[in-house]
Amino acid sequence: MNMFTRNDKSFDTNAASTTPVRDKTETPVAPIAETKRTSPPAPPTYEIATPQTRVVSVISKALKITGQLESTEDIQVDGEVDGDVRGVSVKIGGNAKVKGTVYGDTVELAGTIDGKIEAKKVILTSTAHMSGDVVHQDIRIESGAYIDGHCRPEFGKAANKNAHAAAKPAAVVPTGSVRDKTGPVAEIGTRA
Amino acid sequence: MPALSRLALVPVPLGNDGTEFPASHLGKALTIKGSLETTGVVHIYGNVHGQITADRLVIGVGGYVEGDIVANDVRIGGRFTGRIYARHVTLDGSAEITGRIFHHTVTVAKGARIDGRMPWRPLNFFERLEHLREAQ
Repeated sequence: MNMFTRNDKSFDTNAASTTPVRDKTETPVAPIAETKRTSPPAPPTYEIATPQTRVVSVISKALKITGQLESTEDIQVDGEVDGDVRGVSVKIGGNAKVKGTVYGDTVELAGTIDGKIEAKKVILTSTAHMSGDVVHQDIRIESGAYIDGHCRPEFGKAANKNAHAAAKPAAVVPTGSVRDKTGPVAEIGTRA
Repeated sequence: MPALSRLALVPVPLGNDGTEFPASHLGKALTIKGSLETTGVVHIYGNVHGQITADRLVIGVGGYVEGDIVANDVRIGGRFTGRIYARHVTLDGSAEITGRIFHHTVTVAKGARIDGRMPWRPLNFFERLEHLREAQ
């Protein structure tokens, strides 16, 4: 008992005297290094916030997805997708490649799509490379965009009703993306 | 060995051209059916059904993944069903895991729920795994 109390005391005094000094001079790395010899399993870099706060999901350029993406929010694709993409506002970045159909309320293309676009509003920027049909209600094509396919203004019409049943509810809602008509386009344009 | 040292200290994985890859972020409304493959960082807050290959993977609180994960570093705060092959695994207190976790080092926070086994493997096991996934 005596030994324990003595130890505790000396430890306490030690701690009291040393901690302020340590706090000043050393970063919190030191205690970690003492307790763990190997690499820390959870570096603080985990909590990186996404660069764009407005865009909810980002498929960055190193990511390749084989399969289907479905979201009730916005999607930004900078990587590679082999499959269909469904979202509300879908942006396909300059180096992105999509092989499949892109459904959305608004689709902005600066990269490559090999497949189809079905969206209420379609924007093809100057770096866009579109191989396949575009089903739209409202389209904007910038000079320099490449299209190999038909542009059909049939979005939301009876013939397509079944094809994009999942995309429909979003299309009924008045476009939230109208408010940033200029914003995202300029963003993609400057990047290209 | 080079793989390990890279894992230990480099904060963000680098591409072939030496530039930093921004992390991929899969929001909570996003559902993916299929496989994900990246040399960078993936944060998942939505649902993924399929195989994931990444350098570093984070399943955030509210995220759900069903399938196999091959990565250097995995951190889970959400739900997961399947197998994990990772050198370092961190399970937060909110994690719910069903399946197997093949690891070299593992950290489990108080509150985490694990149903399954957590077999330890030497580092070279994971190196072989990397070759395997590249061959696919």
